[in-house]
Amino acid sequence: MAQNNVDVRERPPLSNARLAILVLLGAETMLFSGLIGAFLVFRVGNVTWPPPSHIGIELPRVVTGINTALLLISGYTMFQAWRAIQKNKVKQLRNWLLITGGLGLLFLGIQGSEWVQLIRKGLTLQSGVYGGIFYVLIGCHALHVLSAVIWLFTVLGMAMAGRFSAERYTGVDTCTIYWIFVVALWPILYVLVYLS
Amino acid sequence: MSRFFLWVTLLIVVMLIVPSYLEACPACKTLDDPIGKGFNFSILFMMAMPFVVFTVIGGTVFWHYRRASRKPMD
Repeated sequence: MAQNNVDVRERPPLSNARLAILVLLGAETMLFSGLIGAFLVFRVGNVTWPPPSHIGIELPRVVTGINTALLLISGYTMFQAWRAIQKNKVKQLRNWLLITGGLGLLFLGIQGSEWVQLIRKGLTLQSGVYGGIFYVLIGCHALHVLSAVIWLFTVLGMAMAGRFSAERYTGVDTCTIYWIFVVALWPILYVLVYLS
Repeated sequence: MSRFFLWVTLLIVVMLIVPSYLEACPACKTLDDPIGKGFNFSILFMMAMPFVVFTVIGGTVFWHYRRASRKPMD
């Protein structure tokens, strides 16, 4: 019964924002499942991989391995940002968000430079199935990292404007879930595309 | 009506005698080929994914609600 505490509204156990991001990630998972499914058809369907037409082209496994580590570290720093706002430490939140965004941009920069080198070697979207599936799958993930970085810097801007507190941090919460999804997806793609 | 059931029965008998007609997927007939195996892997993987997605979303919702119901009332 609402008597003196009229303003106190009962919060649902799972917020609408969290439920929405879960549904979005479900759709994203299905998108990547389709792409991974297409990759599996070509990978398992070819006895020699890369196909004979691309024998000389080696994917940069070591550099991408280091890049993978950077992205995994960014997952940790994003988690720390989330923990910081739960403790109402806004300054720490800003710092962790800045580090996470920087790591995301570094990941994209390294991947971009790798792509330039691969295109120079002759691996293009039109060069065959190998190039086609590589650029579509890895490019789709890179687009997701880019959108996550844009989202993160928007959240950082809001944090600098003092819009978040320990009681009110939905923006940080949803951005963290999306970032962790993008980070968790990458090692799967790395193992499938670069190491298999 | 009885003619309809006669045709359906005949169709079932033909399918039982010649089961290769039941194979709707042409790639599955050549499972020894790498491309057949590729399709098979891909189909099984994509078939499993909706179940994984619904389990994760459903599990998360269930976990949140159960945790809320266990919390003592303030």
